[in-house]
Amino acid sequence: MQKSVFTSALPWIFAAAILIVLPFIFTGGGSITIMNQIGITIVLAMSYNMLLGQGGMLSFGHAVYMGIGGFVAVHVMNIVENEYLWLPLPFLPLVGGLVGLGFATIVGSFSTRKAGTVFAMISLGIGELIAACCIIITVFFGGEEGISGDRTMAPPTFGIEFISQKEVYFLIAFWVLLSIFVMYLFTQTPVGKMANAVRDNPERAEFVGYSQRWVRYVSFCGAGFFAGVAGALFAINYEILTEQNLNTVMSFQVLLATYIGGVGFFLGPVFGAILFTILQTVIGLQTDLWALYTGIVFVLMVMFLPTGLTGLFAMHLIPLQLGRLGMLIKPYAKIFVPGLAFVVGAIALIELINHVRHHAEEQFMTLFWIEFDTTSFLPWALFLIMVAVGFYVSRAFAKEVAEAWGEATFVEGERR
Amino acid sequence: MANEALKLDNVKKNFAGTEIIRGLNLSVAKNERHAVIGPNGAGKSTAYNLITGRYQVSSGKVFLNGEDITNLEPYEVKRKGLSRSFQITNIFPKMSVFENVRCSLLWAMGYKYSFWKLVGNQTALNEDAEKIIEELNLKNRRDTLAGVLSYAEQRALEIGITIAGGSEVILLDEPTAGMSVSETEYIVGLIRKVTEGKTLLVVEHDMGVVFDLADRISVLVYGEIIATGTPTEVKENQAVQEAYLGAAMEEH
Repeated sequence: MQKSVFTSALPWIFAAAILIVLPFIFTGGGSITIMNQIGITIVLAMSYNMLLGQGGMLSFGHAVYMGIGGFVAVHVMNIVENEYLWLPLPFLPLVGGLVGLGFATIVGSFSTRKAGTVFAMISLGIGELIAACCIIITVFFGGEEGISGDRTMAPPTFGIEFISQKEVYFLIAFWVLLSIFVMYLFTQTPVGKMANAVRDNPERAEFVGYSQRWVRYVSFCGAGFFAGVAGALFAINYEILTEQNLNTVMSFQVLLATYIGGVGFFLGPVFGAILFTILQTVIGLQTDLWALYTGIVFVLMVMFLPTGLTGLFAMHLIPLQLGRLGMLIKPYAKIFVPGLAFVVGAIALIELINHVRHHAEEQFMTLFWIEFDTTSFLPWALFLIMVAVGFYVSRAFAKEVAEAWGEATFVEGERR
Repeated sequence: MANEALKLDNVKKNFAGTEIIRGLNLSVAKNERHAVIGPNGAGKSTAYNLITGRYQVSSGKVFLNGEDITNLEPYEVKRKGLSRSFQITNIFPKMSVFENVRCSLLWAMGYKYSFWKLVGNQTALNEDAEKIIEELNLKNRRDTLAGVLSYAEQRALEIGITIAGGSEVILLDEPTAGMSVSETEYIVGLIRKVTEGKTLLVVEHDMGVVFDLADRISVLVYGEIIATGTPTEVKENQAVQEAYLGAAMEEH
């Protein structure tokens, strides 16, 4: 039953190939910057899922480990610049990781005693504590301006000085792949398997010989390490760290990204990180209200799709295996048009209200590449009709989708 | 007795001032199949929880193979070679049957908290897990999530998790509760098979199962053992008949 080395290496080679090709496909202005940000978020969200998805620990302060790893990384960058230390830039994430690991070993020693509410509250407390320290201990955290450095001053690696964003992209891509690979291996170790067991049923895990506390502690330290790696990657990419990188807002963003991707799946956070960063950067450029949309997406996910984006894909594997995916195309297509009308109408209405409330001096606004007069009655009426009709019609079609879904996944005599 | 696998010496347990276990003395010999019977609320499950460290005893001592295991943590008790099942199914619901069994083997096979070995490469571990699944008759459910198994299958897995790793002393808590006649037969056969050469302590309500399985029986009523003996001795014991067995036998 053992797979050959080649077949198990295949997905990794494939992923590496994609990562190498990506910057040559997306060459547009800013796309490398966005991809770098996505890479950092992937490492952070994946490390967060070591806690939440694999280990059943809900943390509200995971950004702390990234932040501290990042701050130390910037300091080390400055030490390297002053030539007190010789360290090529690609090794800096290792330093960040060890710092994250070190801090996690301290905090984990008391926070992993219990899971659930106790763990969540301690993580929140530590998060607030460190965020407060940020302002107080200016020597290390640099106060409100933060600490900045210069990555290009590190000794060149094979002649590369990491001046361009593209060079940094490859450094980040390398660490993303390496981190995911090591985190994957961790899930396949005895303690990684027991992390799942403790998540599922901590009491029974004790009765098969494992202390739930120690199992959680090991996962917690691992998660701290990779959060630190993400912090150092952030330091390399942006050359500055501030309080905003480790405060509670940041911790909630990690939670959001991970959850949207799907906590129940190993690669779920990857998709979550991609979607979240795109929401944050691309949509953030278009509207001031990106956080509102992210919040709405999050609430809808928790309510209707608790398994996340990956769960949505995984759901469709059943009709795919049964060869019934075709049955779903028609009802999906039918609901798509009114659904889209509803979403576009709702977004337009929100944007219009926001425009009138905050930019009333400008009579015209541009939305979805169309410029129109906000004082006229027409756009208001149009958007309202889109929302109302879109909602009504999609609700009618939703029944058809549910029926088609039931038919497409129905298996004689099997319980689901 | 030198060959005592498990011994309870005057164990007491108070919950908020109420004495639930009132001086429990029990001795189970090595390789013995010992049953504990008694009416609901007699303290059978509480006794299990005291032995396995789930609850702290108020006073008294618990010995495993002569070694004092009083108030050790559940995982320490397990590591010393005592393993238990639960009355209410207590498995790892979001993991496959195979993973359930494999996880139960890990500590016993010496893997501890290692994060530098891959479980997929551990031949002996995987072979043992497959063997246990075959013994449980769950081979066709190997990759099914434990949470979606049928009740009888979950009870079988519950026993599988308990015996995996080869603990010398096995405590089963109502293994056949809520089962049909044919399912009970399957589970009793399974228990017989997997506890071969081991010490078994079993709490059970089904008198048919008890008299079929046990070498000796202890009767627990209101936190005290009122009689211990072979099935025939217990059946004929006057006190037992008055307190419990008569009523239970009439039901059957």
